[in-house]
Amino acid sequence: MTWLVWRQHRHQASLAAAALAAFAVLLLVTGRQMASQYQSAHAACAASHTCGNLANSLSLGSPVLFLLVTLTLLVPCLLGVFWGGPLVARELETGTSQFAWTQSITRRRWLTAKVGWALLAAAAWGGAVSALVTWWSSPVNALNQQSFTPGQFDTQGIVPAGYALFAVALGITAGALLRRTLPALAITVGVFAALRIVITAYVRPHYMSARTILYKFGDLRPRPTGSYWVISRGVVGPGGHALSGQPQGVSDVSGVARQSIAINGVPVSNMPSACRALVFQGPIKAISCLTAHGYRASITYQPASRYWAFQSIETGIFVALAAALIAVTVLVVLRRDA
Amino acid sequence: MTARQDAAPPVIETRGLAKRYRRVTALTDCTITVPEGRISALIGANGAGKTTLLRMLAGLARPSDGDVTVLGGTPRQDPAFLAGIGFLAQEIPLYRRLSAGDHIAVGAHLNPRWDAASVRERLSSLNIPLDQAVGTLSGGQRAQVALSLTLAKRPRLLLLDEPVAALDPLARRQFLATLAEAVAAGGLTVVLSSHLVADIERVCDHLILLAAGRVQLCGDIDTVLADHQVLVGPRKDTTAIQKAHTLVQATHTARQSTLLIRVGGPVIDPAWEAADVGFEELVLAYLSQPGPGPGAPPAIAHLTTVGEDQ
Repeated sequence: MTWLVWRQHRHQASLAAAALAAFAVLLLVTGRQMASQYQSAHAACAASHTCGNLANSLSLGSPVLFLLVTLTLLVPCLLGVFWGGPLVARELETGTSQFAWTQSITRRRWLTAKVGWALLAAAAWGGAVSALVTWWSSPVNALNQQSFTPGQFDTQGIVPAGYALFAVALGITAGALLRRTLPALAITVGVFAALRIVITAYVRPHYMSARTILYKFGDLRPRPTGSYWVISRGVVGPGGHALSGQPQGVSDVSGVARQSIAINGVPVSNMPSACRALVFQGPIKAISCLTAHGYRASITYQPASRYWAFQSIETGIFVALAAALIAVTVLVVLRRDA
Repeated sequence: MTARQDAAPPVIETRGLAKRYRRVTALTDCTITVPEGRISALIGANGAGKTTLLRMLAGLARPSDGDVTVLGGTPRQDPAFLAGIGFLAQEIPLYRRLSAGDHIAVGAHLNPRWDAASVRERLSSLNIPLDQAVGTLSGGQRAQVALSLTLAKRPRLLLLDEPVAALDPLARRQFLATLAEAVAAGGLTVVLSSHLVADIERVCDHLILLAAGRVQLCGDIDTVLADHQVLVGPRKDTTAIQKAHTLVQATHTARQSTLLIRVGGPVIDPAWEAADVGFEELVLAYLSQPGPGPGAPPAIAHLTTVGEDQ
């Protein structure tokens, strides 16, 4: 059966291998350049003790390369469309399943070989692309400290392999259920994109309960370190309760129009009257008044040390979904008529 | 039924087999028996349920109702069962980008008994290239490749869904000759569906006739023909005839009636002149029959009603 799978898909496989090789060459060459650029810049700033500003003064790589690397976000979806969708659907559509299923092998064996190789190829390919991107991005990560940012988090580490497995499993299942290739491809793209967005926006921040620290307005020192992930910023009143979910920077002027001026996220209407009187003497006085009354800025975040835990949890979710989809495919293929 | 006595158990035996899809009933109450060594013709109008029946026999579709026994067991996803059957679907499905040679290699990987030499020999004698993608071959050539692959499996039961439809007359004759040879060599039974009555008459010795989703006839062709007669006589009421025999078809002119009957006993009335029926005539008569309404018993049931009063 493996022979048949290889014979059917060897062109796709060689095409994919060629694309991967070209991508690898590009990233290896530019990645080495970026790494040495970063190292020399870091050595220079360490000598002059100005490394705190390195992110502002040094820019790595070209925008085109960053775009290309960010576009590897699409790799799992492409694998789902080109490898997953047609895998079972095309055989059902053209009737070759009837040829295969009347040879002296069970459908289970047929399906195991096809699905097994497709998933293996997906994980290998997704993993290889991600490994390249991860290595290539290491100076950028060290410089910008944004490992949790969408576009970084989901193109590096182990999650891309999980996405690839899921996308291919989704394609296979959609094809087995719909029995037609094109609708299966459309479903694959739609469901994959929707699920990725929902998980990124609404589920990922809650994998582990976020930490909150409070600090005095204008105080820079007690911030978390490394590539931490800011879930929200806000202001906490004297009682310890959050005043508003508004980000700190948005103590905006447009608020005037709505009769609610805020200083550092504290609406004037919520201020103690002593501080409210100081508002028009300048924000600095008002802020020190608020600090004296126990108001604190807060930052809710996921620490940098949780990066791999988050990677593992997200990969686990997608692998589990892939497994469930494959179980559905097995049931459908073994039970339904050819 | 006056079928030949067969010591071996039948290769195919179904009882009350039915297949319903979500809205349509493809086959109802299908009871057939095909003894070993027969070349059985599966005849029926389009949509009569031929493909459905063949697919259920091959284990590709599950019956909604009834029992089916093929080669001594229920059709199932099991290498031992599948090794015994050869199935060729109507649309002649092959992997279009693979060559005939690739398909031969696929068969060698997937089957315990595989006669690669016979396929190569057959295809080269037909001048069909082994190294060209089958998608680029003509429809007839593809059919030949698929048929050869099905035979290379050395099955005990061949199920062919309109195998000769895509072949030119010469290739058709060659194929049917190959089939007859393979059966003569022993151990092979064939069920083939076809619309080509002349071809069927030449090679088949058994008949399954489906109409309106039901079995109308099933048996050896000789026996089936012997069971029917054409009566020609003056135009008159056929009630008496219908009591004793099964009237399959009646055609009337102003003065004369021609009746095709399934004989239920001797025809006593001297007004009727009896003659043997031809194969094609019989098949067409059954195919042009209006479908029996729901609840009407299949034609086979009438065999037992032997009338006395003529």
